[in-house]
Amino acid sequence: MFKELDPILHSQLRLAIMSLLISVKEAEFTFIKEKTNATAGNLSVQVQKLKEAGYIDVTKEFKDNYPNTTCHITQQGIKAFEEYVKALQEYLKVGQSR
Amino acid sequence: MQQEEQLSGEESLNLINRMIQEAKGYSYETGLAAIIYGFTAIVCSGLSFLREKEIIQFPFHPFYLMVPVFFIQSWVQYREEKKKLAKTFTDEAIDYIWIGFFLCVLAALCAGFAGIHYIQISFIIIVAALAAFLTGMVSKMRYMIVSGFICWALGIISFFVLNPYIYLLLTAVAIVIYVVPGFLLNAYFKKQHHGR
Repeated sequence: MFKELDPILHSQLRLAIMSLLISVKEAEFTFIKEKTNATAGNLSVQVQKLKEAGYIDVTKEFKDNYPNTTCHITQQGIKAFEEYVKALQEYLKVGQSR
Repeated sequence: MQQEEQLSGEESLNLINRMIQEAKGYSYETGLAAIIYGFTAIVCSGLSFLREKEIIQFPFHPFYLMVPVFFIQSWVQYREEKKKLAKTFTDEAIDYIWIGFFLCVLAALCAGFAGIHYIQISFIIIVAALAAFLTGMVSKMRYMIVSGFICWALGIISFFVLNPYIYLLLTAVAIVIYVVPGFLLNAYFKKQHHGR
């Protein structure tokens, strides 16, 4: 029986955000935008969705008089990401054996 | 990047892999802090050697010059940290290694109050070798691994040089673990951020 893929993570941009955040302690919004090539608006929406799911924490503060958003992955996010990758690998294993 | 685009299993794994590599490859290190420390350590060691050989007079131990430099370096580091767009686990691990090193140096310098001379320099060289080696292993920077081994060799030699000449060994250590990597990092930084 296959585990259903987490719908929150199974979208290109949200998965890209989570993959970036799993590899660093924390990252600024500009860093994520630069690496994913997403638009600021689209990225904001997806960051908000991940935050609502409890997968990431978002901190807003001022840096050199400009607003600055920093994101970092939560324990819940790490667990969800690991389960997602495990489920993906299972799918791929079955796909290859057929 | 479109968020609602559905991916196949293979595409998802490729995306994960690509993003992880992108994040891990990020660095914002000008090498300036290492260059400042390196040259200060060279000057302090040189002055200490000349003072011990009674070639020059110095009103206090030249290594006290490291104190104001520590504050200057901290300011440089603070400004660099602010410019970083992401903090990696590698950065964090390297910070802890060098904080540990500086605490070891401070503890070793207390030996001077107990009237012990020179042997603490050997200890500092050996701990510096450990810090350089660990930095190299964590950051996968081969130069630092090699410099760790060079400093361990200098540490062993220093046991046979428990006299003013030990400061010259300390100068060599400063060049190997601060000045050279500082310039290497600076060159890499310029190449990565300014395409020079």
